[in-house]
Amino acid sequence: MAAPKRLTSVDDPRPERSHVLHLDGSPLIRVGAKPGLLQYLREVWAFRHFIIYDSHSRVSSSNTNDSLGRLWMVMNPILNGFAYFLVFGLLLQTSRGVDNFIGYLVIGVFMFRYTTTSINSSARSIAGQQSVVQAFNFPRACLPLAASVRELFSNVPTFVIMFLLVLVLGDVMPGDDPISVSWLWLLFFPVVALSFMLNIGLGLLLARAVSAYEDVKHLISFATRIWFYTSAVFFATNRFEGTPFEDEILAIMHVNPMYCVLDIVRQAWLYDTFADPSRWIVLASWAVGLLIIGTIVFWQGEEKYGREK
Amino acid sequence: MSTQISDRAPRPAKRLGSTSAHSPDAPGEFVEEPDDDPATVPAWDGDESVIDDSAPQQVDPSDIAVAVDGASMVYRVRSGNEYNSAKTRLGRQFKRVTGAGWAEVHALDRLSFVVQRGESVGVIGTNGSGKSTLMKLLTGKIRATSGNVYATSTPIMLGVNAALVKQLSGRENIRLGCLAMGLTPEETKAKYEQIVELSGLRDSLHLPLKSYSSGMSSRLQFAIATAVDPDILLIDEALNTGDAQFRARTKRRLDEVRSQAGCVFLVSHSLGTIKQMCTRALWIEQGQLLADGDPEWVTSQYQEYTGHQANNRPRSAKIAYERTRMQLNPVSVDFLEGTRPHRASLSS
Repeated sequence: MAAPKRLTSVDDPRPERSHVLHLDGSPLIRVGAKPGLLQYLREVWAFRHFIIYDSHSRVSSSNTNDSLGRLWMVMNPILNGFAYFLVFGLLLQTSRGVDNFIGYLVIGVFMFRYTTTSINSSARSIAGQQSVVQAFNFPRACLPLAASVRELFSNVPTFVIMFLLVLVLGDVMPGDDPISVSWLWLLFFPVVALSFMLNIGLGLLLARAVSAYEDVKHLISFATRIWFYTSAVFFATNRFEGTPFEDEILAIMHVNPMYCVLDIVRQAWLYDTFADPSRWIVLASWAVGLLIIGTIVFWQGEEKYGREK
Repeated sequence: MSTQISDRAPRPAKRLGSTSAHSPDAPGEFVEEPDDDPATVPAWDGDESVIDDSAPQQVDPSDIAVAVDGASMVYRVRSGNEYNSAKTRLGRQFKRVTGAGWAEVHALDRLSFVVQRGESVGVIGTNGSGKSTLMKLLTGKIRATSGNVYATSTPIMLGVNAALVKQLSGRENIRLGCLAMGLTPEETKAKYEQIVELSGLRDSLHLPLKSYSSGMSSRLQFAIATAVDPDILLIDEALNTGDAQFRARTKRRLDEVRSQAGCVFLVSHSLGTIKQMCTRALWIEQGQLLADGDPEWVTSQYQEYTGHQANNRPRSAKIAYERTRMQLNPVSVDFLEGTRPHRASLSS
C-alpha cells in the first residue's frame, strides 16, 4: 500500500484539546501485572493439572517420529550402557583404580545426563515456546516446571535400565566386589527428589536468563560440559592424591552438588555403605537454596516473558 | 514501516487542562460530507458531548470495563543489518561484525481511551496500523513501553492463535488447551463435548495435529479458545476462516459468548461486521487513534480514506484523514487520589 509519507503535519492546525477523565481505580486491576509471590505460587498450584498433563503428553509423544517409537526411551540407555561396557570393560580394560568401575561409570553418566537434559529443556522452555506464552494466560513458571517434570518422567526408563545394568554388569571386571541389592538402594529416591528440586531451581534461573538473552544457551552446553568433567563422573577423587592442590580440589569437589548425588548413590549401590553425611547436607542446601532463589528470580521477571524479539 | 513512522513528530496524548475550541458539535473547517452533520456526529460517548470539555470529568466507576492510559509500544527486534543505528563508530563496527543489532519498531503512540461495560468496540485500521499490538496490550501478553492498561478482569483473546502441539492428537490438544486456560480437569471434561461439537472434527480427533489441514487446525483452535466465557472479550478478525457450515456454528457460539461478556472488542477488516455488531468504533492509523465514535460514521470515513489510498490519491486521503482527526475528542486518563490500580487480581 502506497501510504502518503506524512499524514500528520507537525504544524497541527487543531488547538490542543484533550479532556481528562478522572476515574476511580478501585474496581480495576492492572492488566498483566505480576501478582505477589504467595499469590503467584497459589496460581502455579492451581495450574498443576496443566503442568502434569503437558509433561505427560509430551513424554508419550516424544518419539512418535521414530518407527520404534517409545521403545527408544528404553533402547537409548541400554545402548549407552553397552557402549561404555564395550569401551571401558572390553577394549580398554581400565578401571582407573576404581572398584566396580562399570557400575561407577554407569551411575555417573546416567545420573548426570538426567540433570543436564532437565536443565536444558527448562532453560529453553520460555524462549522456545513463545507461541504458547502468547496464546494463554497462565503463570509462566508452569513451562519450566513442566519441562522439569517431563524430564523426570522420561528418565524413569533410564533409571530402571541403570539399576539393571549396575546389577548385571557392575561387578564383571576382575577384582570387583560382588554387588547385591540391599535396603540402602532405596536412598536413590531421596537423592532423585533432591536433584529434581535442584533442576527446577536451576531451570527457572536459566529460563529467565535465556528469555532475556538467548546467547546464554550457548554458554549452558559449555558450562554443563565443564561440570561433567569436574563431577567425578568417570574417575575417582583419589586420583588427585599427591597433586599440589589436592586439598583445594577436593574441597571444590565436595561442595559440588552433582558430586554429592553421584557419591551417595555409588556408596549405596556399589559399596553397600552410607556416604559421608556432609554430602546430604551440601546437596540439600543446594537444592533448597536454588529452588527458592530460582523461584524468586523467575517470578520477578514474570511480566517480561511475552516480549517478542 | 519504521522509517515512515519515525520521522513523524510524536503527538502527546496527555494534554491536561486544555480548553477546547472544537467541541464535537461544532463542525470543523474541512467539513464537506453530509456525514459530518452535527446531528450524526456522535462523540465517543453520547453524554460527553454536552459536557464542557475543559472541565475534568468523572466517570461512573461501576461502569468502567477497560481504561487504557497513555499506552505506547515500541518493539525492539533483533536484526542483522541494523549496524548503522549505533551512535559511535566503534559501536557500528562491533554490530557489523556480530550482525546482532536491535531495530526499533514504533507500533503504537501514546493511546488513551475508556470503555464502559456493555459496549461492543470495533477496532479498524489498515495493515500495520497497530491493531494487533493494541490487542496484545489489552490481554497483558506484552507490557506497554509506557503507560498502562487497566481493566476489571484480564481480557481474553479469542482467535485462531491458541497454540497447539503438533505431535499430539486433537483430543489431547483440547484437554491441554483447556487446562492452559485455567480450567479444572472436571470443567475440561464438561466442556469437551461442546468443543468437539463446535470444531466439527469428531472423526479426526484421534489423529495427531500435524495431519490436519490448516483450516481444520484453526477450527480446532477456535473451538478450544471459546471454551471459556470471559468477561472482557477480544475477538480477532482471523475468525473468518472455514467453510460456510463452520461459520454458521461459529457465529452461534460467538453470539453466545458475546451475550455473556461484559464488554467486547472486535478487530476486523469487514466493515459490515463492525457496523452490525458494534456500538462504537475505534480507528487506529499508524499507531495513533484517529477516530472514536459511532461505527456508521467511523467506517464511512475509513472507507473514504482507504478508497483514496487504493486509487493512489494521497492528497484526498490526507484530507479525509485530517478531517476525521478534527472530529476526534482525545481523552486522557487520571485516577482519583490513591486509586491507581497496581494489583494483578481482585482476589488478592
